[in-house]
Amino acid sequence: MILVIAEQRDGKLNRATWETIAAAQQLAAATSGPITVVVPGAGVQTVAKELAAAEVKEVVTVENPALEPYTPDGFTAALQAAITELAATHVLLPHTYQTRDFAPKLAARMDRALLTDVTGIRSAGADTAFVRPMFQGKLTADVVPQGPAPHFVTFQIGAYRADQAAKGASPAPMRALTVAVDAAAIREKPEPPFQQAKQAVDLSQAERIVSVGRGIKEQANIALAQKLAEALGAEIAASRPICDAGWLPMERQVGSSGQTVAPKLYLALGISGAIQHLVGMKGASTIVAINKDPDAPIFEVADYGIVGDLFEIVPAIIEAVKQ
Amino acid sequence: MQTVAFWILLLLFVGAFAAQVARRVQLVAAAPNTFSLDRLGFRTSRFLLDVVLQRRTIRERPLAGLMHAFVFWGFVAFAGYTLVEFLYGLGLVDLTHARWFHAYRIALTPFATLVLLGIVYLLIRRVFVRPPGLGPKLSLESVVIGLFIATLMITFLLTFQLVEGTLAAHINWWVHALVILVFMALIPSSKHLHLVLSPITVFLKSPELGNLANLDFEKEQVGLETVKDLGSKSVLDAFTCVECGRCQVNCPAWGAGKELNPKTIILQTQDALLAGERERKLGEVYSEKVLWQCTTCGACENQCPVGIEHLPILIGSRRGLVSNGDAPDYLGAMYNNLERRSNIWGLGYDQRTKFVQSAALETFDPAKHDVLVWLGCAGSFDADFQKSLRALFGILLARKVKFGVLSKERCTGDPAKRTGNEYMYQELAKANIADLEAAGPKKILTSCPHCVKTIGDDYKKFGYQVEIVHSSVYIEELTRDLVRGAKADPLQSAKASAERSNGHETVTFHDPCYLGRYAGKVDEPRALLTRFGATITEPERNRDNPFCCGAGGGLLFADKEEEPGSRISDVRFKQLQATGANTVVTACPFCSIMLKGAQASAQADTQFVDLMTFVKDRL
Repeated sequence: MILVIAEQRDGKLNRATWETIAAAQQLAAATSGPITVVVPGAGVQTVAKELAAAEVKEVVTVENPALEPYTPDGFTAALQAAITELAATHVLLPHTYQTRDFAPKLAARMDRALLTDVTGIRSAGADTAFVRPMFQGKLTADVVPQGPAPHFVTFQIGAYRADQAAKGASPAPMRALTVAVDAAAIREKPEPPFQQAKQAVDLSQAERIVSVGRGIKEQANIALAQKLAEALGAEIAASRPICDAGWLPMERQVGSSGQTVAPKLYLALGISGAIQHLVGMKGASTIVAINKDPDAPIFEVADYGIVGDLFEIVPAIIEAVKQ
Repeated sequence: MQTVAFWILLLLFVGAFAAQVARRVQLVAAAPNTFSLDRLGFRTSRFLLDVVLQRRTIRERPLAGLMHAFVFWGFVAFAGYTLVEFLYGLGLVDLTHARWFHAYRIALTPFATLVLLGIVYLLIRRVFVRPPGLGPKLSLESVVIGLFIATLMITFLLTFQLVEGTLAAHINWWVHALVILVFMALIPSSKHLHLVLSPITVFLKSPELGNLANLDFEKEQVGLETVKDLGSKSVLDAFTCVECGRCQVNCPAWGAGKELNPKTIILQTQDALLAGERERKLGEVYSEKVLWQCTTCGACENQCPVGIEHLPILIGSRRGLVSNGDAPDYLGAMYNNLERRSNIWGLGYDQRTKFVQSAALETFDPAKHDVLVWLGCAGSFDADFQKSLRALFGILLARKVKFGVLSKERCTGDPAKRTGNEYMYQELAKANIADLEAAGPKKILTSCPHCVKTIGDDYKKFGYQVEIVHSSVYIEELTRDLVRGAKADPLQSAKASAERSNGHETVTFHDPCYLGRYAGKVDEPRALLTRFGATITEPERNRDNPFCCGAGGGLLFADKEEEPGSRISDVRFKQLQATGANTVVTACPFCSIMLKGAQASAQADTQFVDLMTFVKDRL
């Protein structure tokens, strides 16, 4: 039995749960074990219903007033009981902050192996190996957990795609599992979640970014970049001189003195690529640069580079995207 | 009767002087000992220049400095006179009628005239001109002392007019003597204590700008946390400050409108010491924000005429803050980069390897190569600066210099050291030293002035000695024969002169702090520029007192920390623009980054070119 521990807050599912279900489905294919999704908390029916769309054996809610709000003591007690009751072979969790908080405690309590930040599953002979980064990401290791089941595995966010989780033909059956949680034994007294005053624009979460540099020449031309951003469903960002000039707000500045971003697509328009800018966007998966200077340093890091006039190229791209 | 009165007054005032001095001596003695006396020859010649000849006082403010020198030389000249008159007043021995004393007095008259001229000028400057370095508030005490000095000179000159033995002559003598006594009692608690202390502090000042001892982690040293941690030289410095404000007006942070004022730092130190606040946190005494505004450009320390060392206090306090986890966020990110990737950018070293391969650089081998080229964080990763390095390699190849690079480099630790992260600095330094010792170069060449300072000076404290030269110095020497040698080859000569006449251009040169001020290399870059056809228009603040680009001391990463005031880089860029030259030549990767940023923000079309690229293009 493969368990997936779902994560929710205030009745809203954390999308990383779907990624973990996708991982569980790959593991299930290799080990032919059924998947059960466990939804701990209080008032989690809506979330459980949403998850029942997945191709899994069943969805089990573990509800108890003591589980709301989240505490590591409460979750450890409830999940230990549930995991034992459901006779799990693997317990899969998304590698969220909440998981990082209670999973080590839970695994230690049950004296079982815990593999964290896993990015993939691979067969290793008769065994199943879990791939995880080591030494600050310099190496990846195939790790086979030892010792008696269940084995705990947490999956790096984004390692699996949520939309790859297979949906069932009909909703999976749901049932409730009652576990005893001694509210008096919970030592933590959580305060309301603290939300840091967020920047109005959080570019670090953007999937696509269209970024403009001094090559845009005039403030009026920002509109062109904005059109491209709209066509691509991208956020607009800029290098320092654009924000200094007030053509875009400071919060849209990317670089060592602005935000650090890691989108899937970074489109650099007329950005020369000074190193303070590059260090702010080096994490982008695909970098496309348009610059008329073939010697611009941005081409050193770009996956695709177009040497030419952005005022000719950008409208053509907008057209192409619209088609 | 008069003799007894003078005895009583003298003992009273000398007592007042001694009591105040004793308090300060106690504070110096209680501080951890940081006095050092290495390089006595250098210290002696500096003493002659800066104390006896008043070089630093005159250099920056020629007129005011010269007037001060008049007063100083006059004081020295008058020492014997005062002694004789006091011995007479105390009834011990009367030498006032000796023949030599008469000649001495006559010899003193030009001195007295010059002191009078000097002090009147300085009083007018202080009371009416009021330069910003002297502070917004008029120091009444300084005015009183100024009037005292004038009185001393006038009463001296009057002795030639008054007939000895008359009542007027008696009164004149007493006024002169009393002014000296009161002056003496006022000295210790005022900035005039520099009369006594500055010769000592100038002699004790480290021969090396920005000199800080390594922290010894075995002894659990963590840097300066509270007032009682300040070293003995810093304590002595605090009492020596003459409040002239040279540190202030030369500070780029102050010049850009930030809160940091090096003079205030020294005076706050003085106040905290005298108030006995031994346990007070330095982050409170100076404010943490102010401590992080220093670019470690060294202008304050270098311009100080009385031998004060500001950097040990500023960086020492940063060490204390970092040890307690109180570094600004942008430094946390940079420290992570250094810890994980050993470079300030946090980039992978495969990029350096790619550059080394694409430039076809050889791994250094002492049997094969004359010189080891140190790439540095900028050379390893900054594509823009790599162009300059390729130019350097081109020059070396053209001049048949055999050179190699290390297969692996780390940051020298400069940004960690200047921001007070001593532990990280030492980790990086020790690892680099191990690699350098294994490679065994006799000479290292680099285009980064920060690397010159760190490897050349700071690594000495680990016992590693190597000759490291900046590319401007090395290439200047390497191309010395070029202009003369060109005559031997008429074709080359014609080509060169044609290029010179066509390519004749006006440039301005921005001296990097760590090259011009720290290493004192100001002539070599200029020699290169003129050799290769440039006319240099000097910006405001140049040579060994440049205005910082704003990158030093970890502030490269705090570019957006612009409140209050403006960016230091923007201020410097305007100064460079004001020269009218359309080309700015730089010789440091970090100056280049900062100033290009300022140029882009100013939407200006100023051209930036690194010195090596400039030379290579015109070779």
